[in-house]
Amino acid sequence: MADVDAARRALEDALGPAEVLSDSLALALYARDASMVEGGCVLVAFPRKLDDVVACARIATEHGLSIVPRGSGTGLAGGATPVGDALVVVTSKMNRILEVRPEDRLAWVEPGVLNLDLAVALAPRGFTFAPDPSSQQVCSIGGNVNTNAGGPHCLAYGVTSNHVLAVDVVLPDASVERFGSEAPETAGYDLRGVVVGSEGTLGIVAAACVRLTPLPPDVRTMLLDFTTVEDCAATVSAIIASGVVPAAVEMMDQGIVIAAENFAHAGYPTDAAAILIVEVDGLPAAVEAQARAVEAAARANRVREIRVAADDAERALLWKGRKSAFGAVAQIAPHYHLHDCVVPRAKLVEVLSGVYAIAKRHDLVVTNVFHAGDGNLHPLLSFDRRIPGTLERVLAASEEIVRLCVEAGGSLTGEHGIGLEKRDFMPLVFSTADLQAQACVRSAFDPEGRMNPHKVLPAGARCGDFTAALGMDAAEAARNLPEGSWI
Amino acid sequence: MDLIHPFTKAEVIDAMRDASVRGRRVLVVGGRRHMDKGEPCEIDAEVWTTQLDQLVSYEPAEMVAVVEAGMRVGELERLLAEGDQEWPCDAPPEATVGGVIAAGSSSPRRLRVGPLRDTVLEAEVVTGDGRLIRSGARTVKNVTGYDLHKLVAGSLGTLGVIVQVALKVRPRPPARRTIRVPGGLEAGRRLLEAVPGPAAVLATPDVVEVRLEGWPEEVEQQAQAAWRVAAALDATEGEPFPSVRPWEDRPVVAEAAVPPSGLPDLLEAAGDAWGALVGVGLAWVGLDSADGPLDALRARARALGGIAPVIRGPGGLGEARPAALDVHRRLKAAFDPAGVLAPGRFWGGI
Repeated sequence: MADVDAARRALEDALGPAEVLSDSLALALYARDASMVEGGCVLVAFPRKLDDVVACARIATEHGLSIVPRGSGTGLAGGATPVGDALVVVTSKMNRILEVRPEDRLAWVEPGVLNLDLAVALAPRGFTFAPDPSSQQVCSIGGNVNTNAGGPHCLAYGVTSNHVLAVDVVLPDASVERFGSEAPETAGYDLRGVVVGSEGTLGIVAAACVRLTPLPPDVRTMLLDFTTVEDCAATVSAIIASGVVPAAVEMMDQGIVIAAENFAHAGYPTDAAAILIVEVDGLPAAVEAQARAVEAAARANRVREIRVAADDAERALLWKGRKSAFGAVAQIAPHYHLHDCVVPRAKLVEVLSGVYAIAKRHDLVVTNVFHAGDGNLHPLLSFDRRIPGTLERVLAASEEIVRLCVEAGGSLTGEHGIGLEKRDFMPLVFSTADLQAQACVRSAFDPEGRMNPHKVLPAGARCGDFTAALGMDAAEAARNLPEGSWI
Repeated sequence: MDLIHPFTKAEVIDAMRDASVRGRRVLVVGGRRHMDKGEPCEIDAEVWTTQLDQLVSYEPAEMVAVVEAGMRVGELERLLAEGDQEWPCDAPPEATVGGVIAAGSSSPRRLRVGPLRDTVLEAEVVTGDGRLIRSGARTVKNVTGYDLHKLVAGSLGTLGVIVQVALKVRPRPPARRTIRVPGGLEAGRRLLEAVPGPAAVLATPDVVEVRLEGWPEEVEQQAQAAWRVAAALDATEGEPFPSVRPWEDRPVVAEAAVPPSGLPDLLEAAGDAWGALVGVGLAWVGLDSADGPLDALRARARALGGIAPVIRGPGGLGEARPAALDVHRRLKAAFDPAGVLAPGRFWGGI
């Protein structure tokens, strides 16, 4: 049984009374993230340093609370939505850039540092942190690490996992471990690689060592507009097939172009069926060569117009429309449900037309703005949840969209994560044995199931007793294992 | 010692189930290129993966190739060349895809292409007790579930038998050039600073090789930058890369990994048979024996926050303990409950 009062007193002693909240407003505020799922918690703590995080883990364990790590709360899958007797550990006050070492191409940062703040801090030294989620003005590095965040530029640069060299993690037993290292290889299994993207279910990331990416000497941003969605999508595959991997290839359909243009006034062609924003970067000669190939691919697919950003201001404007698209859809309806799934690039057209049909069938407005180069779709359903029955239609349509993507050879999520929202879809892509193995990985880090419970894995996925299948008893199996294996 | 030579995944499953029930310890073997890596371990049988060598699917426009793990690297190279693409591992052609992944080796071009483990998008693995499990997806981007495939990359066959992988492949660079400049690490450092985006700066005691890749115009621009540094020196240009491997003719080769700025300290007293990837922090050090000089190298690597496992000859992995040893042990117990997969080969006695 959780002893909330005792936990609160212990936390106040350890962190200071100002860093612990338990009033009803705070508990309501931290009962959800940016997803549609609402949960509940009993305490909210704001650690300022590593020792505070350790204290949070220790006190939660002592008093029977589960631990839900939270960065900026911009997650869209409910990964930071607490459930039950939860202590929400908010890392936003741990927001220092601890060290920048260009000679080693790395920086150590606390988890609450905002993605864009890091990029801005690194820019004068000629570097950046490559992952750039659309929420980069507000999302935190700790959140990026936990969701293995993407963004428009991971087509060429890779996802967050490729840019995290090491993490300092507070495990649920309050021990502190460094996974990965400043060196390119380390002793042991790649636990860093498992923690990145684990949605706060393995431990609390208290610091991250991130890779610095040199800023490209030259960048060219192009807007290509098409009279059919098919031509637009075919251009994406044609670009990749020509041997060019652009820094970013973003696709927007007409619905979202109109909304974004109303908001950002980027000069988007509102009469186009779909547009692409393509960015190529590198040395000037490479930029020139790639831009030529992109133009050729687009012309072969009947592009109507190619607009090249003339300067940084125009480039920023083209991106502003793209990155503010999710805010701009408020013009369509007060609520939206943003999807995230990945399909092979060759299936983009087929899946998109399926998405349109599903929305029509459920009488919903759908718009699409997404990372086309990665095959990472983001169908966005706009609705007004105050109208009875609407939410049910949205959820039904959402499930159909997920199934459509999986049937096309895709995956449940490209960058938002599983969280609470998609955990029950996991059996669509994984077998029972797969899910059991994943549950085993989880319990290897967190044998008592204290970290962010109910997330990622569907109910019932447990690390089973495989030794029974072998006809051995547990004691016999244990004898075969290195000393100390069973904790 | 027995030899198990499965032709199908089902046969791998049967073999591992049987090995676990009978307590028969096995070593998973691909192209025998990484046999020396790891601590010595006693085994009763070898499981050869080399008959699991089929191409499952390859779509150049997706930049994803799915292959069985026993496929030889040379065969994969040939298949990908048809799509004008590559899997940047730069391993010998007789190595297997699964072996290269399990050994955790990386390309000398890592500065540009990244670590090899980042290219593994999906893996199918048969656990020590014969369960077939899959993680990841055949898309270039995916965050569905825990990345078990990250764990098996570099696991030296101690968690399971990798039977199939989906690999992220990349376009073959249309132009490649290699410039050789006299000098050692310091020359390497200057070249790394001067040349934008090289694929590799490989420094050896006497010569630095700068590998350039990309679009022809881009490579020309990089080459001009390199030649500006090299002009005063007696530089040359030409294939192949790497052409200078002074560590290769020594009986013991260690692969040290330290933060990039630690390379000068690491190699200060490391003899004259080394090569280092400047800007990456990997160094291959050739030694005459696995005694004193290896201990000294490991002590320096440790002081710099790194490691120095042996990849050829005797010497094992070294004393470094993995972080969270209990987590490691629980993972091993979950994937190989009977403890039959190369027991003791891995770091920390796992």
